[in-house]
Amino acid sequence: MDVRIGERVAIVGPSGAGKSTLLLHLNGVLMGTGLIRIMGQTLEQKNLQQIRKHVGLVFQDPNDQLFCPTVYEDIAFGPMNLGAPEKEIPFRVEKSLSDSGLDQSMRSRTSHHLSLGERKRVALASVLAMDPAILALDEPMSNLDPRNRRHLIELIASLPATLILATHEMELVLALCTRTAVMDRGKIWADGNTRDLLSNADLMHEHGLEVPLSLKKT
Amino acid sequence: MRHSFIDRFANLDSPLHLLDARTKLVGFTALIVAVLLIQSGRDFVFFSYFFLIAILAGISQIPLGFIVRRTLTILPFIILATLAAPWRGVAGLGALFLRAILCLIILIILTNTTRFAELLRGLRRLGCPQILASNLGFLYRYLFVLTEEILRMRQARDCRRVGHAALKKELSTLGSMLGTLLVRSFERAERMYNAMLSRGYAGEFPVVDPHRFSWPDLAFLAGIALFVWVTFFGFPVLPA
Repeated sequence: MDVRIGERVAIVGPSGAGKSTLLLHLNGVLMGTGLIRIMGQTLEQKNLQQIRKHVGLVFQDPNDQLFCPTVYEDIAFGPMNLGAPEKEIPFRVEKSLSDSGLDQSMRSRTSHHLSLGERKRVALASVLAMDPAILALDEPMSNLDPRNRRHLIELIASLPATLILATHEMELVLALCTRTAVMDRGKIWADGNTRDLLSNADLMHEHGLEVPLSLKKT
Repeated sequence: MRHSFIDRFANLDSPLHLLDARTKLVGFTALIVAVLLIQSGRDFVFFSYFFLIAILAGISQIPLGFIVRRTLTILPFIILATLAAPWRGVAGLGALFLRAILCLIILIILTNTTRFAELLRGLRRLGCPQILASNLGFLYRYLFVLTEEILRMRQARDCRRVGHAALKKELSTLGSMLGTLLVRSFERAERMYNAMLSRGYAGEFPVVDPHRFSWPDLAFLAGIALFVWVTFFGFPVLPA
């Protein structure tokens, strides 16, 4: 499977299909036997740090992702690990906060005082601060209320990065991605235009998914 | 779901709050050591420390009621600890009790005038090993996540329980809850570590560091040093 620069691809599949596991392979947190090439480089033990600079992974549960005492430190964590100059850090934090639609006053807050919607956005900001070329999101909308959901969709749609989105929310896929791959039991079963795949009722049912309401023929 | 915070009043902006975390760590630790070294029977010295701490508490703008409530919460432990040394006699026990109370109030002031994150940063800059500082940080960050997990589990248990079961049954339920909690914590730790790796973690935790050591810090430390010196090594006008 090839993903081009700037493309927005959804990986859809039922729970347990292996979507999250696949994402964890993209930056070498997990290493399998297959071959992964990121921006022309084959993923290996020795270029992990470089690859991680390119691939930003946003986890499903922001509580897993935000482990620092303050929001500022969490956002600074990535760029500092990647060796960004110390003077640049405050600007990076500032920029990723505003890119994620968050107020600057957020920086001194502790993440356990934030609402889920805010926490999700801080998690996104903590990855955007690393300026990744590829953004891999794992179920970004789970548990969000409609308003926060809408904001986050608009936010993600406005980002220039290549997007790989793992989810089983079909409406979200329809809103964000032009291309979709169906994954089930660890394998890709179909790969193509989002509208074509998602309106294929047989394919959806076979892999524990559903044709989104907005595509159902009346 | 509610939880109480260790550093509840740390966001005020009294003169004490504005001091550098290192200053407070060093200053308050010195006070604690000094309090522990006061000999029993030197009532005047005890009183002067109590007076100093009262002034610090006043400056800190932490509500008095909060300090009293926190102290009362830990009081039973202090009493128990005091009673564990009955050979010291009444005066000795009294001194032990007073020392414990004073130290406790000092710690309450320290943790409520310094945000936990800054306290950690201060510790780190004073040479505390990386692994210890980041573990304390994780503890603080995830204590609340864990508490919420426990509260949710308890709600789920209460929803499926009618009346009171036999003690043995209750204990076995508690056992499985604790087991589940342990497994969940393990899994969370793993996911967290993955998140750290994903953002380029390679063994060294970066420290964000706004330098802020200026003359009020110096004045505070000098004041504490002078006070301790006077109370221990005498001052011509002070009764021995």
